[in-house]
This record gives sequence, structure tokens and C-alpha cells, in this order.
Amino acid sequence: MSEVTATDAQSSGVVCDERQLKTLARRSDVPGLRHLGLWILMLVGSGWLLHLSLGGAAVIPALALFGTALTVPAYSLSHECSHGTAFRTRWLNESVLWLTSLIYMEGPTMRRYAHARHHSYTWMQGKDVQMPFRTPLTPKGWLLEISGIGQYLYDAEHMARNALGRFHPDVVDFTPPSELTKLKWEARAMLAIYAAGATATALSGALWPLVYLVVPRLVGGVAMQLFTIIQHAEMEENTPDLRRSTRSFATNRVGRFLYANMNHHIEHHLYPRIPFHALPKLGEALREQLPQPSRGLFATNLEVLRAVAQRTFGKRRGLTGERAL
Amino acid sequence: MTQAWHLVCKADQIEEEEARRFNYAGKTYAVYNTGRGHYASDGMCTHEKAHLARGVVVGDFVECPLHQGRFHIPTGKAKGAPACIDLKTYPVKVEDGSIFIALPQDE
Repeated sequence: MSEVTATDAQSSGVVCDERQLKTLARRSDVPGLRHLGLWILMLVGSGWLLHLSLGGAAVIPALALFGTALTVPAYSLSHECSHGTAFRTRWLNESVLWLTSLIYMEGPTMRRYAHARHHSYTWMQGKDVQMPFRTPLTPKGWLLEISGIGQYLYDAEHMARNALGRFHPDVVDFTPPSELTKLKWEARAMLAIYAAGATATALSGALWPLVYLVVPRLVGGVAMQLFTIIQHAEMEENTPDLRRSTRSFATNRVGRFLYANMNHHIEHHLYPRIPFHALPKLGEALREQLPQPSRGLFATNLEVLRAVAQRTFGKRRGLTGERAL
Repeated sequence: MTQAWHLVCKADQIEEEEARRFNYAGKTYAVYNTGRGHYASDGMCTHEKAHLARGVVVGDFVECPLHQGRFHIPTGKAKGAPACIDLKTYPVKVEDGSIFIALPQDE
């Protein structure tokens, strides 16, 4: 009986000892609670700096710092929780998923089904619903993505359509019919929460939701896109080999924390059942079979931008991702 | 429908919070040890084609290795998206240190 799906370790020709995978896949609450605790400390610390900076020029870097601290971990933790791998205790996983989903702005169930499709058909034209932009990426497309505007437009459209029950054809395609009602009520709940927050803010005249939530979320959205755009942008499309369609990159301790080790992105796609805290060990176990990680967050983003620019000005054809393994 | 018992393996071959694949007559199953008992279900996730014996057993639940869809092992009920269709389960017994699964007679 064939068990090959479109994109996984088997389709990529990568092997790993099953006993080792089972050990790495073991669930625990401790790493997730530690991560959550550190995130809260980071938010308190950077939020305090933002508070101190208000009214002065230092507000700009303080906002960038706090926005990054708010948004990037909200993305990475919501991603981890959507996989169910952040915590062993389910209610803890689902609670953190909901909270971080409100910051990330995508419903948990919608995220699970869309992301499952992304894992099944990673970077395949017409199948991967999380290919967020037309490819090849144009300068305009790059700007839309890096600014976060692309994501806001996508999320706003889907949340509105889901709430109205007028689902996008993609959503109908990747969601079982029995789950569409859940998607609808989830979108309605999220919109109600946002509307309640906005109304309370307007009526009270309080500025803190804008200062500590809305504006930092928008600013932090750029930082988040710097991490997420390099997952697959300018990599090879329509290949079953995740080593060609997906990028891992090297980063420092801060980057690894913000991104919950998702810089090991090839490894994550090969074995999505491995929780974030075990990804570095998985990377070590697979080192001989994987390409060298790309150099650093900013260097990799420059690599993507350079490819976009060179193609726009006619100096490069095709994608950058076709490289020897 | 009559059922017949089929030997899967020795009980100590499935450690606690582990699962093992069992193939019989062209079909595949997953046999689990949750720590509180032994259970069996159809082997393939009802969401997409991934074998649950390669999944992660967490207490009484198994997570599909591909998308981490969740099932309650004793009942087969789908308990976490993207799994939403229940698994078929089969009786299991442990006798003289071996695990047996009961399958319909014509399988």
C-alpha cells in the first residue's frame, strides 16, 4: 500500500532512524513552558523600554524591539501549537494557540487545514495554498510581503469570507465539509473579539491598546516577514524534494528563540511531528543529507532580494533555489 | 460478522506510548500501547495517507506523523484537526505475553 504523499521525507529521499525519530518526537510541557515564560519576560522588558521611550526619539527603536518581540514569537508559537507539538498537555497547547492566533490574525482551525495542505504540497503551484505570492516574485510582490500588507490582505479577506460563510474556493478545497461551520464561527469569534477591543478603546479613549498592541503588531509584522519569506521564496517549485523547495538558515540564539528553531525549516518539513525544541538535534542527525543552511537572517533576505532584482532587470532567469545538494 | 484473533507480536515489543504496524490480508493496522492498555485501529490516518504507527502516542491519543491530526485511541474518535473522521477500532487482547487483534473473519 503506497503511503507516499506529495512532500515529506520519503518524497525527498531523506531517511532517519525510526527509533531516533520517536525519541525526538516525545512530547513534553517543560520546553514550551520555558519558552512561554521567556517570551513573557521579553515582552515585559521590551514593553517597559517602550514605555520609557514614549515622547522621545528612542520610541522608534523601542517600538521596533517590542514589535519584534510581540509578533515573531506569536507567529512561531502559534505555528508550533497548530501542529500540536508545543506542549504535551492539550488544553495548554490550545489555549496558547488561541491567544497567539489572535495576535497572528488567523483562526486556529483555518490555520490547521491550510497548513496541512502546505505540508502536503509544499511550494507546488496550484496546490500549496500557503504560497503567499505569485511567483516568480516581483519587486512589488516582495514589498507587499515584506511590509506585511500581503498577509493582512490575505487574512482579512479569508476571515471576512469565513465569517460570512462565503468561503474562498481554496478553503472549500482544503477543508472537509463537516468543518466549514467551525471555520465560520471561529472567524466570527475572532472578529467579535477585535471589534470589542476596538470599541472599548474608542469609548474609553485609552491609548495603550494602540501603543502596546496594534502599532507594535504592524511594525513587528515586518520582522515576522523577514523570517517567514525566506522559508521558500526563490526556491524550486513543483518538486517533491523538500531540500530543493525549502530553506534552512543559520541564526544566533536570539533568532532561534524568536523563531522557535524554525530556522531548521527543511527539517521541520521533513518531519513535522518533531517539536521545536528537538529540531536542532534533528538537524544534527540529518546533517549529511541536507544542504548547508543559508547564512543568517539578513544575508538570506538579501539573497532573495538580489534574485528578485536581478530577474527584474533581466540579469537572471529562473529561481535561485536550484542548487546542488 | 464473526471475528478471528490474530497474533500481532509479543507484548514487550510495543513499549509504553508506542505503536506498531500490523499488516494482514492486504490491510494495515496500528496497534498501540498507551500505558493504560493495548488497542488497535485502522493503520492509515483518515485525513491523508500516513501510517499512524509512525505517529506520536501521547497518553490515550495518537497524532498523525504527517499533520498531527489527533485521535482518541480507545474509541478511534477524531479529536484534533485536520483529522475529523473517526478511525475504526478493533478488539485487542493480551494473552500469555502476546498481543492479539480480532479482525472480521473474511479479512
